Amino acid sequence: MTSIATRLSSYGINVAIALTALRTNLMRSILTTLGVMIGVLAVTLAVAVGSGAKVSVMESINSLGSNMALVFPRPDTEGGRGTEDRGRLTMRDARAIEREIDGVSAIAPQLRSSIQLVATGRNASTAAIGATPGYGIVSNITAERGRFITDADVNSASRVIVLGPTVAKKLYGDFDPVGERVRVNRVPFTIIGILESKGSSFGNDNDDIAIVPISTARQRFATDTLAGPDDLHMLFVGFQDGFSLRTAKREMTRLMRDRYRVRDKEISPFTIRTTEEFMQETAQVTAIFQAVLVAIASISLLVGGIGIMNIMLVSVTERTREIGLRMALGAKRSDIRNQFLVEAAVLCMIGGVIGLILAIAAAAAFEKAVDFPAPIGIATSIGAILFSALIGLIFGGWPAVRASRLSPIEALRSE
Amino acid sequence: MVPPLVETQDLVKEYVLGGETVHAVNHVSLKIERGEFVAIMGASGSGKSTFMNMIGCLDVPSSGEVLIDGIATREMTSDAMAELRNSKIGFVFQQFNLLARTSALDNVAVPLIYAGVSGEARRERARATLTQMGLADRLDHSPAKLSGGQQQRVAIARALVTNPLMLLADEPTGALDTHTSEEIMHVFQTLNDEGITVVLVTHEADIADYAARRIVFRDGEVIEDGPVANRRRGRAA
Repeated sequence: MTSIATRLSSYGINVAIALTALRTNLMRSILTTLGVMIGVLAVTLAVAVGSGAKVSVMESINSLGSNMALVFPRPDTEGGRGTEDRGRLTMRDARAIEREIDGVSAIAPQLRSSIQLVATGRNASTAAIGATPGYGIVSNITAERGRFITDADVNSASRVIVLGPTVAKKLYGDFDPVGERVRVNRVPFTIIGILESKGSSFGNDNDDIAIVPISTARQRFATDTLAGPDDLHMLFVGFQDGFSLRTAKREMTRLMRDRYRVRDKEISPFTIRTTEEFMQETAQVTAIFQAVLVAIASISLLVGGIGIMNIMLVSVTERTREIGLRMALGAKRSDIRNQFLVEAAVLCMIGGVIGLILAIAAAAAFEKAVDFPAPIGIATSIGAILFSALIGLIFGGWPAVRASRLSPIEALRSE
Repeated sequence: MVPPLVETQDLVKEYVLGGETVHAVNHVSLKIERGEFVAIMGASGSGKSTFMNMIGCLDVPSSGEVLIDGIATREMTSDAMAELRNSKIGFVFQQFNLLARTSALDNVAVPLIYAGVSGEARRERARATLTQMGLADRLDHSPAKLSGGQQQRVAIARALVTNPLMLLADEPTGALDTHTSEEIMHVFQTLNDEGITVVLVTHEADIADYAARRIVFRDGEVIEDGPVANRRRGRAA
């Protein structure tokens, strides 16, 4: 028991001895710790930006709607050769999926086109989504004012439009335009609602859209990219919570391949992607991105560590006589080794703490400047400080062991 | 029966220098009893310092044995040697070897760190020992602010703070003027009177005269070992 208490107190002493030694060579200590400081700053920022990328991408995927599949009329080459073949996706496919696949909560067939809006002398161009009420459910979006489109709007192909906040602001400023007339590609439409804001992701403004009934879009807007009168640009399929998207995708693929009579080795004329896949791919990509950043930043930490080793070797050489004296006064080899290890670790931890503080400040400035999250959490902070201590132990290790192996009499005799 | 404080048995230290074997200490057997004041004399290269380093457990013999307080040291680990130095031997050096930019108090406390004495007790004992050395008003002074004689007294306090059986002093007056040397020798004599064994290495005959017994080395061998006639007494400061 006493040995534990003594050992603990001897670590305390070692810290005191280390601080004294570091203060004694203040300028040198500062310059040495600068390397570790910059290293920790770089690595911490790299971790922060990496996890910021992850957070931001995950948020964007979540804003799509959490549990859904996306079907495109594009041959699924699985990242292989491109193809000139036209993809296939129709309203009948959408209904078949809704009818025959388990777990579907809603479907959102879509037509997409770009439109020109003119109102009160101002104009705006935006992306129009020709949709059904299912779009609101699957994409988890509602009208903040007014209402979303209804089945009745779709059935009668009415000239109604729901505007995203950005479009509304562009045309009307702060005025509430619900109920107003707006000319869409020169045709008068009635504004029935304003969407809730979805913010932006990847620099894309999610609020710069307009939604019209899919039937209206088919009649009024350019749909010449479509092969048939029943074709779709895109289909969102929402699933009930906890439903396996992997199974759903397999079943949807089988159903669609049957419908188009695709033979075994032929590629599908459609592509199905799920939010789960996006998440996984994104997690992978952002992990690689983060790893690359951290690896590059680690080089500076390595250089900092080498600086520590260099200065510790100098310090051991300079203080050879002191080491001999301490041995004569009763220091064991382990006492000498620990003294220098603690000195290196303390030096590195001071650098680590300063580097961390700078990193937190830089991350905050970065977030403000480019509106991109760069979170530095408690775990990252503690990790940074412990890691810098570890750098000290690793790079201080050899000099410390060298110091402890000195023969007391030779050390005492050195000049 | 109390064993001799130091006993060497056929002690040998050899170096190989430029292909030739040098016998720094050549088959020396002697005993130092508790309470003695011994001066080890000899010219430089006579082996006196090598001998002192071996009885101080700072250096290991090529052959032979050193017993400290009856304990054989030949097979000791370096840790056991460190403990032995810490608890039984106090060293005083020619160049004082105080830690720079460190207060007298903290310098004196260093051996207690390695003895595992806790913080407050350490400071208390260091303060008491410095007071005993007449340095009660110099506790917070760094070595640079102390005279040579004061520095050597701090060093003696450091040697004494663990209550060792023996002080080993290697040319303790070598860096001091005559007057201060007398003061320091007086300190050693006083400590010896109080019962501490003192072993002093010097090449100066008048310094050796403060001791009670003189051992003279030449070429690694003891050529003279006997009481000091006309022993000198040091002057108090």
